[in-house]
Order: sequence, then C-alpha cells, then structure tokens
Amino acid sequence: MVPTLAGVILLIFFLFKFFGGDPAEILAGQVATQEQIESIRRQLGLDQPWWVQLAIFVKQIVSFDFGKSWMTNEQVSNIFASRLPASLTVMVPILVLEVCLAIPLAMLVAYYRGRLIDRAIVIVCVLAMSISFLVYIIVGQYLFAFLLGWFPVQGWSDSFWKNLTTYAPLPIILATMVSLAPQTRLYRTFFLDEIGHDYVRTARAKGLDERRIMFTHVLRNALIPILTYVALLLPGIFAGAFLIEIFFSIPGLGREIYLAVNRSDYPVIQAVTVYLAALTMVINLVTDVLYKFVDPRVVLR
Amino acid sequence: MAAIAQPMAAAPAERSQGVWAAAWTRLKADRVGMVCLAVVAAFMALILLSAAGIVAGGWQLEKGVPYANPGFLGQRPNVEAQSIDLAAPKGPPVDISDIDPLAPKYAEWDKRAAEIQTSSPPRAETLPFGGDRWGRDVLAKSIKGAQISIFVGVFAAIMATCIGTVLGATGGYFGGRVGDFLEWVYNVFTAIPNILLIFAFAAVVGRGIDTVIVILGLTGWTGIYRLVRAEYIKHASREYVRAAQAIGASHPSRMFVHILPNISHVVLVQLSLLVVGFIKSEVILSFLGLGVPIEMVSWGTMLAEAQTELVIGKWWQLAAATAFMAVFLTAFSLLTDALRDALDPKLR
Amino acid sequence: MTGLVAVRDLRVSFRLGKTRVVDAVRGVSFDVPVNGTVALVGESGSGKSVSAMSIVRLLPDNAIVDAASRIDFGGADLLAASIDELRRIRGKDITVVFQEPMSSLNPVFTVGHQIGEVLRLHLGLSPRQAIGRVVELLGEVGIPEPKARVDAYPHELSGGQQQRVMIAMAIACEPKLLIADEPTTALDVTVQRQILELIAKLQDRHRMSVLFISHDLGVVGEIADQVVVMRDGVVREQGPVGAIFTAPRDAYTRALLACRPRLDAKPKRLPVIDDFMAGGGQPIVVAENRVARPQEERPLIEASGLSKIYRLKTGLFARKSIAAVQEASFSMWRGRTLGVVGESGSGKTTIGMLLMRLVQASGGEVKFDGADLLKLSDAQMMAYRRRIQIIFQNPYASLNPRFTVGQILVEPMKIHGIGANDGERFERAVALARRVGLAADSIHKYPHEFSGGQRQRIAIARCLSMQPEVLICDESVSALDVSVQATVLNLLLDLQDEFSMSYLFISHDLAVVKYMADDMLVMHEGSIVERGSAEAIYESPQHEYTRKLLRSIPAGYRRQQA
Repeated sequence: MVPTLAGVILLIFFLFKFFGGDPAEILAGQVATQEQIESIRRQLGLDQPWWVQLAIFVKQIVSFDFGKSWMTNEQVSNIFASRLPASLTVMVPILVLEVCLAIPLAMLVAYYRGRLIDRAIVIVCVLAMSISFLVYIIVGQYLFAFLLGWFPVQGWSDSFWKNLTTYAPLPIILATMVSLAPQTRLYRTFFLDEIGHDYVRTARAKGLDERRIMFTHVLRNALIPILTYVALLLPGIFAGAFLIEIFFSIPGLGREIYLAVNRSDYPVIQAVTVYLAALTMVINLVTDVLYKFVDPRVVLR
Repeated sequence: MAAIAQPMAAAPAERSQGVWAAAWTRLKADRVGMVCLAVVAAFMALILLSAAGIVAGGWQLEKGVPYANPGFLGQRPNVEAQSIDLAAPKGPPVDISDIDPLAPKYAEWDKRAAEIQTSSPPRAETLPFGGDRWGRDVLAKSIKGAQISIFVGVFAAIMATCIGTVLGATGGYFGGRVGDFLEWVYNVFTAIPNILLIFAFAAVVGRGIDTVIVILGLTGWTGIYRLVRAEYIKHASREYVRAAQAIGASHPSRMFVHILPNISHVVLVQLSLLVVGFIKSEVILSFLGLGVPIEMVSWGTMLAEAQTELVIGKWWQLAAATAFMAVFLTAFSLLTDALRDALDPKLR
Repeated sequence: MTGLVAVRDLRVSFRLGKTRVVDAVRGVSFDVPVNGTVALVGESGSGKSVSAMSIVRLLPDNAIVDAASRIDFGGADLLAASIDELRRIRGKDITVVFQEPMSSLNPVFTVGHQIGEVLRLHLGLSPRQAIGRVVELLGEVGIPEPKARVDAYPHELSGGQQQRVMIAMAIACEPKLLIADEPTTALDVTVQRQILELIAKLQDRHRMSVLFISHDLGVVGEIADQVVVMRDGVVREQGPVGAIFTAPRDAYTRALLACRPRLDAKPKRLPVIDDFMAGGGQPIVVAENRVARPQEERPLIEASGLSKIYRLKTGLFARKSIAAVQEASFSMWRGRTLGVVGESGSGKTTIGMLLMRLVQASGGEVKFDGADLLKLSDAQMMAYRRRIQIIFQNPYASLNPRFTVGQILVEPMKIHGIGANDGERFERAVALARRVGLAADSIHKYPHEFSGGQRQRIAIARCLSMQPEVLICDESVSALDVSVQATVLNLLLDLQDEFSMSYLFISHDLAVVKYMADDMLVMHEGSIVERGSAEAIYESPQHEYTRKLLRSIPAGYRRQQA
C-alpha cells in the first residue's frame, strides 16, 4: 500500500508541476505586477529546486495541511470534512439500492436464459445504457420536479433527515435507474458463468430443483465476482456523484472538485486526489479481508 | 493425466478457415448482428461525409430563426423568435452634419458598403429537426456532433487499447520485476477514482479535441491492461508457447507472433466496449465545458444547450442528440455482443 | 423384465448452432441387472457417457432424445417421466459419480453440507441427524478422521479424497443404481486402485447395481460382470465379461483388446484397429519381438545431480521449498529409449523440462556432446536446440491454433536456417507431413480440423523438421484413445529405427512405458527410486514403491478359478 501511495503522490506532483500553469500567476490573478508574482512564488516555495518542493508536498499530505483554497480561502481540510457527508448521504443509498436490485433482476434473467424474455431484457438494458446519464437527469428533473412537482428541483439543507427524505430521493432514483442496466448485464454474465460449472450438474444429479440450485449454489458462488465488482465501485462513492451534485446543487465532494477544476484551484484538487487515493487503498485492504468470508479458497498473506 | 475429453464427434470436414473467416460466417447468420453492422456502417459513412464537409458542413450558419420549430411541428407559435418591435421614433430626423466629425466620410463609406455583397438570406421559419437558440440547424449539428464524438471515442479507445495491450503483454509475459513494476503503475492509476483522474488531467491541460483524446486514452487503459495481462499469463504457460520456446523462437516472436493472434479477438471486443464508454465520457466532458472547444459542436454541447431550452418547451435539440446517440450506441453495443458470440472460441 | 434398468433403442442427437444436428447415440439397447456391475466401454465419441447420462436425463440443453427411445426403471419410462418424478429419483434411487471431483464439488460449501444436502432433501433428516449420518458415510468411504473432515472444504482434500466424498454423496440414500462416469480417469494409478476397490466393496455391501463407464479395458476386466462395447454411437458387442475378453466376436472388440501394449510381449509393431477392421477380423500380428540397439560405449547424454527446487512465499517473510526433482542422475544412449515412469508430482515431467532448459535447473549438469547444456548461454544453446526436441502431452494445446500446419512446420526451419528459401521449406514440410502419415494438403489446414492423434503427428513432424538426435516424449500418448495410441507408438518406433533417435519416454502408464523403453527409471516425489532394464524392473522390482505401482495396474480380466 505504501509504494502505491508514494506513486500516487509522485504522479499528482509531477502532473501539476510540469503540465499545470504557473501557480503563482494563477493565484495572483489577472492584474498583477511582476513583483507581486515573484513574492507569491517565494511564499509558495516555488523558487526552490523540485525535490524540495516535493518534500514540502509530502509534508503537507502527512500533516493534513494543504493550506487554503486559492479561491475561497477556506482550509482545504475543512472543505473535505464538510462536503463529505453530503456526498455519502446520496451515494451510499445509491450503491445499496443498485446492488440489491440488480442481483435479483440478474438472477431472474439468468433463470430464463435463452428465452425471449432474456433476449428482450438484454436489448432493453443496452438501449438504456446508450442514453447518456445527462439525458436521464435533464429529463428526470424536468418531468418529476419541474412539471409534476413530486420532488424539489434542487437544494440541500442542514438537517440530515430532511436531506434524506426530501432532497436526496430524486437524485437517488435517477442514479439507480441508470446504473441498473449495466449492473444487471454484468451480474447476468456472472450468473451464467456459474451455471455452466460442473457443480451445478452435480446438484441436478442429486435431485435439486432449479430454483434451489439458483438461490443456494449459484448465488453463493456468484457473490465472489459480485463482491469484487462492488469493491471496485466503493471508492467511487466519494466523488463519483459529481454530475448529480452539480445538477441538484448538492454541496458534495464531487461538485467541489468540479468547481475547483473550473477555477484552477490546485490545492483542492491535489489534496482531494491524494486523500481519495489513500481511502481507496484502505477500502481495498478491507475487501481483501472480506474475501476470506466469501471465498474459502482464499489464503490471506 | 489421462484421456482428455475431446470435442464432440469430429465435425464434418469444413473448408480451411482462419478464425476471422469463420467468425464472419457466423456473424452473417446472426440477423440482429447484421442489422447493427448496417447501422454502424451507415453512421461511419455519414461521419466520413461530414468530415469531408459534404454533409453538415454549414452547421454553424444561422439558417433559421432562433428556436426554429422542427418541420413536423411547423405551425406552433414561436414566441422567442420574434424580436421585440420597438416603435419607430417620431419626429423628423435632426441634421447634425455640421458638428458630426464623421459626416464627410459617410458618402465614401456608403459607396464601399455597396460594393461588398453581404447576402442575408431570409431566415427559415422551420428547419427539419428544428433550430437552436441562434437558429442553427439541429440536424446538421447532430451529424457534426456525431462526427466529433465518435471520432474522439474511437481514437481514444485505440490509444487506450494500444497502451493497455503493450503494457499488459509485457507484464503478463515476463512477470518478475518488470511485471511487479507495471502492477505498481496500474495500482497507482486505479487508486485514484477515474473521474478524479480525468478532472486532474483536464485541470492542467485544458480544452480541445486532442487533449480529450489524450486524457481519455491515458486514463482508460487500465481495464485492457488487466485483461491482456491475464490472457498473457494464461497463454505463456500453454504448451504451444513452450513448444515455440523449445524450437528456439525469440521472446518478441513468442509474444507477438504466437500469443497475440490468439487473444486479438478478446482485445477487439474490449476496444469496442471502450469506444462506447469513451463516447459517453466525451459527452459528459463536453457538457461540463471541459471537452471540445467552443467553436466545435459535440453531442455534449448540444445537451448543455438543451437543458435551458427544455424549460421553455423547446425539446428538439435534446431529442435529436439523444436519438442519434442512442441509435448509434445501441447498434454498436449489440454489434459488439454479436461479434463476441461469433468469435467465441469455445464453439471451436 | 428382470433387470433394474432396460435401455431400448436410445437415440440422442445434439443441436450445434442453428442448423447442424450431430447424432451421438444411434440406437443403443442394453440392460442393467439388479446387484451387478455393467461396464460401458468405448473410446471418445463413442456415446457411452451420453447413453449413461440419458438414464437420469442429465443432458445439456441442446440434446434431443428421440421419442421412440425408452428407458425402463421400476416399471416406468424415465424418458417420459415428469421432471418432478425424475428429481425424486435422482440422488436417491439413481445416483451419479463424475470424472472430475474437484470441479464437481461446490467450492464454497463444506463437504459435510454437500453430502448432508442429499440426506435432508430425500430422507427428510434434520441437520443434526444429517451430520451424524455424514460422519458415518465418510468413515465408510475411507476418509480418515471423518468427524474433523465434515467441516472441510473441497479444495482442502486430495483428488482421491474428493472422489471418495462424491461416492459418499452417491451412496447416502442407498441407491439402486450408481452411475460412475470415468470416476478414476483423472486420478493417479495407485489412488485408482483404491477407488475401484471401494466401489466394488460398496456394491457388494449395499447390493446396488453399478453402471461403470470407462475407456480402460484393464479396469473393466477387473470389476465388471457385463460389458457393453460401443463405438460411434452404436453397440458393437455386449455380453458377460468372460465371453467378451476370451472370445470376442466383433472385429472392433478384438481390435480394442489387442491394441494395448501387453506386459508379456514386445512385438515389433502394435496391432492397430485398422488392421482388424480391414482384414475382416483377422489381425496382422507381428510375432517377432523388437530388438533394442545395443548400448554404445559412451552415452549420448549424461545427467548428474539434476535438481529443481521451487520456493513459495507462504507469508510475508516465510518461504517454503518444494523439491520437484532431487539429485537425479541418468544416462541416455544413441538409438535407445529411456523410460521414466511415475505418478503426478513425481518430477518426471520436470526432468524433461530441465533437459530442454524450458525450466531453469537449481543444480546439476547435463553433458551432451562434450558441453554442459545447463551452463550454455542462450546464444550457444540455440545450436543445441535442434538436437534435442520435445513432444508434449496435450495435442489440443501444443499447436498454435492460429497457424496453419504449413506455418507450424516451417517455423523451426526458418529459425535454424534449414532449407535455402521458403519454397524449399514448404516442400520439406509436405514431405514431413507425408512421412508421419498425413495427406499432402494438410499443410494448408488449421489444427482444429484434425483429431488428437493427427495433431500429435503434426507435433512429431515439427520436431522431425530439425532432425534431432534426442526426442523427449512427455506423456505424448496419454491423452489419446487406445487405438490411436497404437498408431502413434508405431510411428515413433519407425522413426527411431530410421533416424537412430534416442527417446526419453515419460509416462504414468506402465504398460506403454514397458513396451517402448529399453532402460527404465521409476520416480517418486522427485527422486529416482529404481533403475534398470524394463524387463528387470517388471520381473523383480526392488523398491517398495515400484512394487506398489506394479500392483496397482489394472489386471484386466482373469478367468476365475473354480
């Protein structure tokens, strides 16, 4: 884990150093004299050789101090902490719902494999996946919020409960709808793979009926690749919802990053990237341990 | 250790066909697959025509009135298109030529202006698919947008595939330190959530078609790397590769002459999946203003405009962009599925 | 009808793709008596597995069973029964044991759970009662410490133990018929003997019938009461085991019995199926025995102290050493065959890999024509590569599926600079194909158009293109049907005579090794435990393991003395 983190730090550092604009100029703004730019450069330590700058960068990461956002002057660590709950309030229900709905749907389709309903659902899924997420949000917002008025169009509040019941439902429903199609297709593949294995033939030879085979034998085995996939999705719950957050004006981490990109607010982007990478690695470690409970063949090293 | 289960009773002698020829035969028998192939081919032809300027070349022209209605809805009132009619001022014009410093020049300028032909053709009331805020033809924009979005998607996918295949082949075949190093690179890239990586790249390099292709290519190779690496690990210990080693074939020969043709069908299917994914990503990036530059159009920029138009009831730009995108991506995805079935080596 | 199961005019076809239909079973009829063992014998593609699986309708989705076929059991036609009735019978009255135990067991459930499932389903036992019964069953099938093993997962058991678990699952409900589909084919020969004895014991104790499917006549002769010989979807001959083995009437049966290398004779040429079928049932038997080329003064290859040690990481810092080969020393002479016999894990394959330098040795030396092969650089090794070649076990994996046969044969010529130009190389390729018994137009075809035996010939031709002096045959005929084995072995012997090649013949099949080899090595867990001439080892084995190995060979049919 440590070498990977080091690699991430290096990547971000060099990316911004050699491809990004001069931070001093960006920070100084449009109208600044050369001396102002120079003084800012000295303050940021940009006149030092690059390895010193790298050391400073590392120190900042370790001490959780990235300084302030160039735009809002807010502490970056504060930004992180205050935006995270909003992102999670929306993303965690989405993740739970999409997995819990996709599994039974995929099992259903796999049960009726080869028949017309299987083919039809696959085509519907493909069609659903061909429409951009943007369209779903635009149309969904227009239809359910603007026209029908079932949900507010945008907004957020300070109360967690109010958020969960009033402001979050529409985004959650839209996002779940969108990811249902690809997940169903993927899980369907997992189930079909498992059905082709020999132990299913043994189960039939023992006299078990198809439903029981599906629900106990096949499902239990299919959980292994499903867990792998969900583990890949987990890191995305922190920043992945940026589109939702932008459209619905939810003050989450994703939207924050987007705003930072638009105004070239480097400290925010760098900090969030590195911390999320670290978080991803922690999640990977946890899921590795979880594997042991799901797949008895796994040996933890 | 003993009799390995052999394939079903030796099939009747078929003509010698390589993998691709056999796959083509199988694909031809798949009706859905052939329909999709036709649709995709039609789009490709359209794109080539558009790139050559023969079709949709004048998408920037403001041919119609603002928010022109589509042809099939011709008679709907178009309130937004009418410019506000200011009442003409009353009273005689006042002659101020004695204090007007520019007065002597007016005659000369009028003469010159008359020499320059500016044709302002009358703006159309309706356009086939309607018009956007400036009266540009939505149909032309859709076609041009198709060209841009598909172009970006395909080239980004090719770039990502090349990177992923070369790295995956090297890592999977050699293993050891080289493999470990490449695994480390892979871990670094996947530790950062994908959108974040794209945003970080976008923040530093800015807008433009080339940059979008590079960004998507540099961030999207990880899936193919994983797959190609796994395939190479599997194949490198297969007996036909050992046999090649036994007769003295060199490493590059084994990697690219022996193994690569055996996994090229897997890579092709992944490439197709990437194309779909990258087109969708480009649309989102352009929507957010991080993709194609202002003077270009893509399905993403169309959707960006469509958002505000929807509120005032002008839905055709949204419909056109969505329809074009949906038809193409659906056809392409189903074609990829059909291709995968046709290439399935399990049937051999 | 007095028997247990009566199969009448069974016809099964498979639908491949949209239009093609392939007939697998074409009118097969046989009976399974009560309390007896019937063996279905045949080579691959004979339809024996499909016939047996049809009894419980465990066929793939694309199988079509003819409406006129009948399978009578307990007074009802199983083919016409409803799926619910069938499920009541499966696992209870008729049970199945499959060939690959590792993949046939569910990897995420314990062994106890899987066996208990049958008990809970058919006998209605509670989970506690089931566990108790499972422990009894595990003991009965010979699993040591059954109480502890109940909670084991399949991957924690050895191949033999997994098969015992499958058998326990199959006898749990006291079935009337046990269908065993090649249950020992995937196991080592010593384990095979144990499993066969177990099945025989259980059959006797529970008075159940066994339908045993196999391609191995040796096994069949030992355990069967009735034998049904199948080929290409039809029954060639059936009858009591004694009659089949001592007085076979059908030409194919006679051919099958004769094609196996016998332990007591070493004819110059093995009889092949075609001999029997073409000659109207009269075999062309070559009576004279083979004479081995005498040993020259200096051996061609001298290997001493060969070893290969694998280090596995078992923890963050811990490492475990596994010795695949330990201190192996042997010699090979020109024109003679050195046989290496052993079970899986004995290191016999690794020895071949070490000689070819496909695997890097951990120690030792191999002297060949004055040079130590293990110490040469890659460039120097190239010159030797054409002189030592190898034929692998799996004919379906050793040829590149994307190359035509011509490309496969020409590639080594290109690498070693044989032949002046492409034209000449192709001519040589055609000549090679003919030499190994393939048609001239084969060189334009792809490997998948050929059968297993033909693919091995292509592999042999590929080696021949370089005219090697040493040929390593690593289980080269083990994956082939008996009849095809004979043709390939004959080819190898012909080539040895013509080109004076030395063979390193590696196999787990003792009969084949004895037939082919002049000198022999017996390997066990990485070490050579015995060496000598083939006859000497068979007549008077010295080492305990060699004796155990010899005892395990299925003896075939031995007429019962009164």
